[in-house]
Amino acid sequence: MLRLLKYELRKTLFAKLVLLGITFVAEAVFLAGFWGNRENTLLIGAALLFFIALIGIALMGILSLMTLHRDMNTRQGYMLFMTPNSCYRILGAKVIECGISLLLAGAFFFALGLLDFSLLLGKDSNRQIWDMFTQIIHAVNEQVVLDTPHISALIFSMLAAWLCTVTTAYLSDVVSSSLLNGQKANWIITFLLFLVLNYAISKLLTLVPASLGTITVLLLQGVVSLVLAGIMYVITARLMDKYLSV
Amino acid sequence: MLESRELTKKFGAKTAVDRVSLKLEAGHIYAMLGPNGSGKTTWMKMAAGLIKPTAGDVLFAGSPVGIASRRDVAYMSTEPYFYLWMTVEDAGKYYADFFEDFSMERFLSMLRSMDLNEKDKIKNLSSGMVAKMKIALTLARDAKVYMLDEPFNGIDLLARDEIRTAILHAAVPEKLLLLSSHLVEEMEAIADRAIFIRMGKLIEVRDLEEMRETDGVSMADRYRAIFGHGEVQA
Repeated sequence: MLRLLKYELRKTLFAKLVLLGITFVAEAVFLAGFWGNRENTLLIGAALLFFIALIGIALMGILSLMTLHRDMNTRQGYMLFMTPNSCYRILGAKVIECGISLLLAGAFFFALGLLDFSLLLGKDSNRQIWDMFTQIIHAVNEQVVLDTPHISALIFSMLAAWLCTVTTAYLSDVVSSSLLNGQKANWIITFLLFLVLNYAISKLLTLVPASLGTITVLLLQGVVSLVLAGIMYVITARLMDKYLSV
Repeated sequence: MLESRELTKKFGAKTAVDRVSLKLEAGHIYAMLGPNGSGKTTWMKMAAGLIKPTAGDVLFAGSPVGIASRRDVAYMSTEPYFYLWMTVEDAGKYYADFFEDFSMERFLSMLRSMDLNEKDKIKNLSSGMVAKMKIALTLARDAKVYMLDEPFNGIDLLARDEIRTAILHAAVPEKLLLLSSHLVEEMEAIADRAIFIRMGKLIEVRDLEEMRETDGVSMADRYRAIFGHGEVQA
């Protein structure tokens, strides 16, 4: 499994290094604005970092999905499927790689955000930026609390939900590449399957009672998402094992 | 050692392999012969466990092919299948990581004899160089079965000699070699048995020595007789 994992990480390494490079450029813009007391530059840097963090975390899942798709639909898949590894191991390595990448990317951007906010709030003149930010958040939702436990629970819940979405996309892609391979309207059926599964999952997540409190709800939703991701993984691997030809 | 029973593969309306029953034994080099689209590659991919049959079975040592058989069956596809970021050496390390029977030392020695540099990026290699590297990777395994799909494709005469030598070196009594090729004359110098396939159907399996003695024809003559005129001669 570790060997499979090593190669899964290697397959997406280049794109991740590019993302890291872009993040450093945005951070440099932010720091130049901060130390040069140029408010516009600082805001551009902060906005860039915010969007890169969002896109970066989304990218971890998309890269994993693209790799699976390529492994099932191009000759490169022979490298993987001719090795003495079961589909459960092969897909397991992909899910773990995606989970690790999401976790590391989440931790990295969270740490960078904390660092930058600490720098920002270290200057009295910047307190008003934080106040403005919290006012905007509260205008959207009064119940949102911006402290470390709430933000940590929110990040956990979001990462777990994203992992669940990625495994749902795995399942849809495997159905497309195995059961529906070569059939007309393959992609439409696959896309509809993905939408229906995601709708069902989102409905399931709303069953967690809000009365439990924000942190508990977020944590429970995260756990449910991880369990569902596990179920998607088992079904997908079984389908690959029985029906996939590369 | 390797057996297919009523093996069938359909792609939509097209039947690529049609109820092929074959029994291949260790100690022989089989040439799988037939025109384009006759089902040779599809049969091999099913035997390698890469393609699921529509019907029938492929057995290795009496058990259906799968994860266990991949440890003992070395398959070389005719198409390049390597990750683009790999160097020749990376491909060797990949095989070493996944196949216990792979010898890095043997691989490097074969690379040297074929004038290949292990530090070269695979994406920068010519098709002939990739073909040689595929052969080196596959034959550097100490497998029980070697299946080489079109091993001479895109390879110049001198390199063909090197590959032929490498293949003959791998042929020992306890191993089974199966090769497919359009180059019938080339195969005649290597194989001792021939499998003729046309339009997905098995025509016959012949022992070449016996065929030469009893029928007085070469493998190439037999190939022409089967595929050249559209009629199969008994």
